[in-house]
Amino acid sequence: MNRPKPPLSILVVEDELIISMDIEMMIEDAGHRVMATAASLKAVAALPVETKPDVALVDMQLAQGSTGLEVNDEIRKRWPGTIVVFVTANPKKIPEDFAGAHGVIAKPFSSAGFVAALRYLEEGVCDPPPVSPEPGSFVASPAFGAHWG
Amino acid sequence: MDDRDDWTLTEALHHEQGRGDPFAAAVRSTRMSMIITDPTRPDNPIIFANDAFQRLTGYDRDELIGRNCRFLQGSQTDPETVGRIREAVEAGTDIAVDILNYRKDGTSFWNALYLSPVRDDAGTIQFFFASQLDVTDRIDVQSRMAREKARVETEVTRRVAELRDSLDAQRLLLHEVDHRVKNNMTMIGSILRLQLREAQDSETVDLLRAMMTRIDALATVHRHLYQSEDVTRFDIGSYTVNLASDLTQSRSDCDIRIRADLGRAEVPAGQASAIGLIVNEILSHMIRPTDFGGARVFDISSRVSRGRVELGIRFGRDARDGSAKHPALPRYSPSGVTEQIISRLAAQTRTSVSWTQGPSGSIEVTVIVDTEVS
Ligand SMILES: Cc1cc2nc3c(=O)[nH]c(=O)nc-3n(C[C@H](O)[C@H](O)[C@H](O)COP(=O)(O)O)c2cc1C
Repeated sequence: MNRPKPPLSILVVEDELIISMDIEMMIEDAGHRVMATAASLKAVAALPVETKPDVALVDMQLAQGSTGLEVNDEIRKRWPGTIVVFVTANPKKIPEDFAGAHGVIAKPFSSAGFVAALRYLEEGVCDPPPVSPEPGSFVASPAFGAHWG
Repeated sequence: MDDRDDWTLTEALHHEQGRGDPFAAAVRSTRMSMIITDPTRPDNPIIFANDAFQRLTGYDRDELIGRNCRFLQGSQTDPETVGRIREAVEAGTDIAVDILNYRKDGTSFWNALYLSPVRDDAGTIQFFFASQLDVTDRIDVQSRMAREKARVETEVTRRVAELRDSLDAQRLLLHEVDHRVKNNMTMIGSILRLQLREAQDSETVDLLRAMMTRIDALATVHRHLYQSEDVTRFDIGSYTVNLASDLTQSRSDCDIRIRADLGRAEVPAGQASAIGLIVNEILSHMIRPTDFGGARVFDISSRVSRGRVELGIRFGRDARDGSAKHPALPRYSPSGVTEQIISRLAAQTRTSVSWTQGPSGSIEVTVIVDTEVS
């Protein structure tokens, strides 16, 4: 299997630009790369298809009335191998099967929580199953969790 | 009137034999209205009607004899009921029904009608017999009650729907407010982190980091509250474990394990932030040294005992680490803002915080929340 190697290339989809900037910096502090940032479905659709992100962190409520679920569909269509993780204040809005996405980080997140979630994700993506215990800040989708187990 | 031979009651009342028959006399004079019809004649007409029937309907005998009873029916009479009587008469069975009838003067009354065929020895129907009873009072009460019941039921349905609507609206509002609070808290955290990156001197960094931890703790409280089944209760055991793992993960420089022994330990949601902050100050103070010189472990326990919620936090050396040179932990002595936050919020929430420190430096803090009084 062709697993990505760190540093991971990460797409950040978030319409609050301060939060988006913060997330970018935490990603870079953790040693990964931010491939691009987008605030809406349109912005995601406008990205070049050739550069595929390893991971996408997707907010649920986005600019221009678009939703994280729509962005998830778009990403899965463009880059089937990309790991999609919702970052949302509304985890209850996520369907039970995560609509094919891989996990969720609940807002508000703490610095430590976010970093731990990122580390866990890196382990799970690059060298599954993860060696760290699942942090409280991250919940894997049933399908993704099973795939590691 | 041309009478039938077998008509013992006869054109009744004027005949001598009829008067002499005690049975016929009883039927004539009873207060119960009674009639007899003759199905062998066209349209099954009345051939006998007693005085009570005349009093009930207001018609004289002359106006009754020879007519089918349907003339008692009127505009408000239920056709379905009439149909049931017709079927019974055609089938030759008896029937008891309440039917709306009209008197000669046009007033209506509820008639509890009972009718049945009278057969001869061969089983052939000779006559139909019927009795009538004015049950207007009973029916009125019944229909009034039925109307009242229906009215109450519609009213209840309406109010339940109203209540459901307003509950839905409230839930929606709570959801919206919750969402905004969470977004704002995320934003505050992000701003603090951005600021922290710019900080140059270590004093500012420490200050901002302490702020950061407190905001993070509040965020964790909020997340716990709104992800739990019951937003009115807050479980301090699972919260403390979550916070401890957050704090230890941010300290990649040292090796700290967490062991948990959690029983249900819930406090009211209104106290969640205060108690959450107390726990954060305690944990942060425990792990503040920069070098532990060996592996450490958190033992977190929670339970409810005699109406009090108890949380135990022990921080000590990890027995798995065999190295003898395990420096004692520094004294546990919160001061400054940390001390103020703990003591003030404890007083506010009827919480007592006490601690002991063992010779090896292990610290044990007990937090007891008196939930009965509040
Ligand atoms: C013995 C007897 C007594 C009856 N008494 C009444 C009565 O008091 N009030 C009434 O509305 N109908 C009474 N009926 C019913 C009507 O005579 C008739 O059978 C009914 O209206 C159904 O037939 P129709 O559809 O041809 O009208 C009585 C019928 C019989 C046979």
